[in-house]
Amino acid sequence: MSLATGLRERAVSPEPYRLGQLEPRLAIKPTSPEEASEVLHAAAQEKLAIVLWGGGTRLSRTMPSRGYDVAIDLSGLDRILEFDPEDLTVTAQCGVTLETLRATLGARGQELPLESPQAKRATLGGTLAWNGSGPRRRRFGAPVDRLLGARFALSDGTLARAGGKVVKNVAGHPVHRLLCGSRGGLAAILEASLKLLPSAETRVALIYGLKDWEVAEVARWMTLPRLEPSFLTVLGSAAAAALSEKARVDAPFTVVVGIEEDQKFALEQEKHVIAALGSPAARLEGETVIALTQTLCDAEHQDAAHLTLTSPHLTPAALGPFLGRREASRLVFHAPAGRLHWFPSDEVATALVLALHEAGFRVIEKAGPVGFQAPVAPEAAIAPLRDRIRTSLDPAGVMSAAQV
Amino acid sequence: MPALDLAPLRVLLGDDGVLDSRAARFTYEADALVIEKHTPDAIVLPRSTDEVAAIVRWARAHRLPITPRGAGTGLAGGATAEHGGIVLSVNRMDRILRVDADRMLAWVQPGVVNLELSKQLAPLNLYYAPDPASQQVSTVGGNVATNAGGPHCLKYGVTFNHVLGIVVVLADGMVVTLGGEAPDSPDFDLASAVVGSEGTLGIVTEICVRLLPKPQAVKTMLFDFETIEQSCRAVSATIAAGIVPAAMEIMDRHTVRLVEAWLGIGLPLDAGAVLLIEVDGPAISLGPQVERITALAKQEGARSVRVARDEAERAAIWKGRKSAFGAYGRAASGFYIMDGVVPRTRLAEALAGVGRLCAERGLESGNVFHAGDGNLHPHVLFNADDPKQQAAALDASHEILRMCIRMGGSISGEHGVGIEKRPMMRELFAPNDLAVMERLRAAFDPQRTLNPGKILPGDGEGVHAPAQMGGMRPVAVAEGPWI
Repeated sequence: MSLATGLRERAVSPEPYRLGQLEPRLAIKPTSPEEASEVLHAAAQEKLAIVLWGGGTRLSRTMPSRGYDVAIDLSGLDRILEFDPEDLTVTAQCGVTLETLRATLGARGQELPLESPQAKRATLGGTLAWNGSGPRRRRFGAPVDRLLGARFALSDGTLARAGGKVVKNVAGHPVHRLLCGSRGGLAAILEASLKLLPSAETRVALIYGLKDWEVAEVARWMTLPRLEPSFLTVLGSAAAAALSEKARVDAPFTVVVGIEEDQKFALEQEKHVIAALGSPAARLEGETVIALTQTLCDAEHQDAAHLTLTSPHLTPAALGPFLGRREASRLVFHAPAGRLHWFPSDEVATALVLALHEAGFRVIEKAGPVGFQAPVAPEAAIAPLRDRIRTSLDPAGVMSAAQV
Repeated sequence: MPALDLAPLRVLLGDDGVLDSRAARFTYEADALVIEKHTPDAIVLPRSTDEVAAIVRWARAHRLPITPRGAGTGLAGGATAEHGGIVLSVNRMDRILRVDADRMLAWVQPGVVNLELSKQLAPLNLYYAPDPASQQVSTVGGNVATNAGGPHCLKYGVTFNHVLGIVVVLADGMVVTLGGEAPDSPDFDLASAVVGSEGTLGIVTEICVRLLPKPQAVKTMLFDFETIEQSCRAVSATIAAGIVPAAMEIMDRHTVRLVEAWLGIGLPLDAGAVLLIEVDGPAISLGPQVERITALAKQEGARSVRVARDEAERAAIWKGRKSAFGAYGRAASGFYIMDGVVPRTRLAEALAGVGRLCAERGLESGNVFHAGDGNLHPHVLFNADDPKQQAAALDASHEILRMCIRMGGSISGEHGVGIEKRPMMRELFAPNDLAVMERLRAAFDPQRTLNPGKILPGDGEGVHAPAQMGGMRPVAVAEGPWI
């Protein structure tokens, strides 16, 4: 029996795994790490280009870098393997969704501060593979900051792990951290151990409606970074339409400031924020803030071409030169994380990217039909090193990373 | 080996930038793992990235290994030139290049001393959070190499969590910037692989670190318990209650007695263990946190609590903890220190195991450790002039680390693998795991010129030799090199 036949026997319908016009020849949904490794190896031996699937929430907006023969859907590996609240750690399979994790951990007063659009579908493995983050990134870190160790499979059939399950560990090369952000181009993450946080005692969100010149005013935001709010997100009016009615304000820009602290300090923080920004147009607290945070993540996914940019900026004032642009109504900017989501029209993309580059923003993702000439970045110098790492972990060259 | 022609390096670095006298080579023959000595052929002291790149190209042309070195405080032999060649000391690369207070970041050279960075930042009300015990002398570059932790990493994370970007000289002499001032990178994060790689993947020549606002207030508490198990349960209870203190440190009965006999600082001699807990943050939050922690500790059997009333009393409490290392030095002519990690919930069990494994071999042991993150530092005491005791201590040390592995932990929480724990890597990881790490290493440095032989137990690197655990002949010191 040829390997291809072996793969076919396990195949499921490829239709749900279409990426644009591309449909894979085979789609397989393994039910164990060992099976995932076996399938990966079999496909690699046939030189079939492999795209790894989690919930498909980010993947559906990209194209594979090396072709698309086989979809390996890892969402069936969906068990939480170990959770001991006294250790503040969790070990789970890659296919468990963020919502499931949130519910399980929340029941014991803890949380894993990973953020992704569509948390109901977004998987742990996908979020790690993307190193995706949301509004709370500055305060709580990116997925790589919370990752203690991982088990993973390479295309040559190697099933390996790096790191561990304890909160402190410097033994060995941290291959697990390298997989974060690799978007399925190096290995399949199968299980992961992560550090947790106690859930915040009090959550408050203060919502402001501002005009463009108010957002651009440097002095307004001066004290905010050192207050360390859990998030400070700017939304253009079109993006803000996704907010719930209670959080909606009638203004060109909506600014949402999140506070997650113990009760006394939250109150004090709120006073500081009000001293800096004035009284808010709306105020939310408790569980509604959790829903609001998810909405801020979801707002990153709009039905349009999309650029994600990173920057060292901690305050909304950095957006000043760009707020007069027509597309600014759709922007989402998680200020302390320096992360900007912009939805440009094709004809302005190159000029826009150059202007943003001048202002310290670097494009790290693009999705959908948007073309631009990228400015030369230091990234170009490390392309050969990246290629050597890809070749060392995926010698067959079949791991087809999501191209961004 | 024929004498090296170091003239090109002297032209590059000046006469005081190249050392090859017998005395200098002797000085650099080991880091703080002093039982593992290897004399380098020469020591170079560059001042800039360009000079480091030129040295790397020169060494590559001469097929000489390069061992990067910070302050030499590492406890695992990571900065020891096991295969000779060049030791590249970053001590003259000690400038803080730029501080951006608004964006809360700083670019520094790797030779900047950790504590000095925070001192320089103090007027801006900012600080650099990673605080390895050696921070008074260890360098930020050395901390990056080992992904150093420290007592306060329980709350703030380890070095990796505070590095935004690095400039690295690769094995072929190419200079690259990995990461940068922005928190994210396109594609996979290469800086995350280099941090903690002990100088094997590249030589870090500039570091962009994330800065934090200084905490508004600090409260330090000292609890005493009749048994060490009670103190461990108090740690678990605190974490389970949703409190993450800045630091949680335990000293066992043996250590308390040694420290008190030396310093006389009022530690309770009848205590089975003392637990130091520090919380920091907004002043308004600390009072309630102290109350909650105290209640939890009392529930678990704390007999008394002492809360530091001022900075002087806080320093006195910490002095006891920081003096443990020196106190052991007064008690025995030799001791092995380990750096194992276990899940927090298995601390008491692990400590009982340490005691049993040592007692079975007729050895004394003491424990002083970062309880909040399960990072044990058992000290196995022995007579350094008695080979049988030394062998027994070595055997006990191995067994203790094996116990950590069996409990789901690790062989190193913060000291690194270096030479010391290299053979234990085969017990912690499966062959496949190590093979993947080898592949990553080869992608960075195919000729293995950068700190060869460290971390991974490769061919001819003592794979079959007995493990050489960290052995010390310490001098009695009150503060400084504590763990």
